[in-house]
Amino acid sequence: MTTEVLSLAERKRLRKTKIRKHGLANIVTHWFNVFSWFLLLLTGLGILGNPDLKIMPQGYIDFMRNLFGSIGGLVETHKVFGLIWLFVITYNVLLGLRKYFVPFAKKRMLLTHDDIQWLKLYGQKLLGRKVTLPPQDAYNAGQKIYGYIVILGTVLIGTTGLIMTFGYLLPADMRWLLQWSRPIHFGAVGMVVAGLVIHVYMAAFFPEEKSAFFSMFTGEVDALYARLHHKKWYDEKLVEERDYEMRVRLEEIEAKEESMAELRE
Amino acid sequence: MANQVRKYGFVIDPKRCIDCRACLVACRAENNVPLDHTRIWVYDQGVQGQFPNLSQQFVPYNCMHCDEPPCVEACPSQATYKRPEDGIVAIDQEACIGCGLCIDACPYHARYLNPTTGKADKCNACIQRTQQGEAPACVATCVGGARMFGDLNDPSSDVFKALREAKTSKRLKAIGSDTGPNIYYINDTVDEQSLAITESIMPAADEFYKKFVIPAVIAAAGATFLGQAVAFAKQLSKGESEFEE
Repeated sequence: MTTEVLSLAERKRLRKTKIRKHGLANIVTHWFNVFSWFLLLLTGLGILGNPDLKIMPQGYIDFMRNLFGSIGGLVETHKVFGLIWLFVITYNVLLGLRKYFVPFAKKRMLLTHDDIQWLKLYGQKLLGRKVTLPPQDAYNAGQKIYGYIVILGTVLIGTTGLIMTFGYLLPADMRWLLQWSRPIHFGAVGMVVAGLVIHVYMAAFFPEEKSAFFSMFTGEVDALYARLHHKKWYDEKLVEERDYEMRVRLEEIEAKEESMAELRE
Repeated sequence: MANQVRKYGFVIDPKRCIDCRACLVACRAENNVPLDHTRIWVYDQGVQGQFPNLSQQFVPYNCMHCDEPPCVEACPSQATYKRPEDGIVAIDQEACIGCGLCIDACPYHARYLNPTTGKADKCNACIQRTQQGEAPACVATCVGGARMFGDLNDPSSDVFKALREAKTSKRLKAIGSDTGPNIYYINDTVDEQSLAITESIMPAADEFYKKFVIPAVIAAAGATFLGQAVAFAKQLSKGESEFEE
């Protein structure tokens, strides 16, 4: 967060000004992902009943198995949920590839010098030192890194999930693929979940990120949040607004001149 | 299992086996076992002794339905399980993903990968028959009475009586571990060396999973969870300010 002295009146004004951050496609995909992850985590943890692999207590595992009829029912359900998730996510990514993802990856995801600096200073902030964080783009360095983890995790989980779903079709000497898919699947989920804990806490409870949380419903953040947390992006938006304003004014003037010319004739 | 009422097992008398392999045919027909594969075997131990005192021994062989089955320990989804009511080790075909860990884990090599279903398959003591009170197909068809099946805990069962009256009885021990096999070979010496019984194998992928991935994931998720819990507690104790976020 950049330290800025802002008057109360200014804060109140900025808080009421809204800036669009997420499109509808983004919001719907996000909540679909949330819903899928929730179901897949619940069913996945229920499958891991082997004492060597168990994460949840036996009571939970029995409950999930009873809920889905049997261990077979649970495994099949997990596979079906997984396939639906993978299909929708892949479809959305391909659909928005040129319009959203390529520009996003080029413009928003690369780590800049400020990001590296932010990471160093944020570590010191966590240790309790007072620091001034460098200005951040639409996503801060932490969010960018978690973005990489989620993308890598999604690819790994999807690939290994497909292998395990259709692995029974593999010839007998290819079963090592299935055997290696299990630790990779679990490890990738663990990697995403470790970050997910931070992601959910930040969104749901962290006061500074409140605006970001509501933007996942409305698509809009308030200007104060944008200015304090995503200064570079905020400035970019201000320039965009100014350009739009100037274009509209110019058009207005041109229209006026045209009507004057018509009158003269 | 201590409170297990029934404990199904096999008692096999190799001396009575004539290597007709009717049991293999019966098993294949009963359980729809694909050609080139089998759930049960008859091993030929070759000619023994010195001329003219020669003998040839055949060893009927199938899943031992162990007390502590390594295949059950290996199965990630618990598709392979030991039935608590009678101790039969069975496979839930719907839960099996066909990873093949159980096939490596079985020191008796009593499992195979069914090419039609793509999943593991093995002797399940014909539960569809034994639940109706009938003998498994291999036992029912055995002409010489070499194969016997029943409740080892029930004093009136065939297997119990046969064991009680046997001159000798032997269970085939796996290398490196005692899994508590439930096939008793009676009245004859069976040469374990010739039966290709090995150690229980844990593939590198499974070892990597259990020894590295699980601790790493628990440590990572646990660390972030603890971190956030501390942050949340701090946030609550600090209280909320009205004008600043």
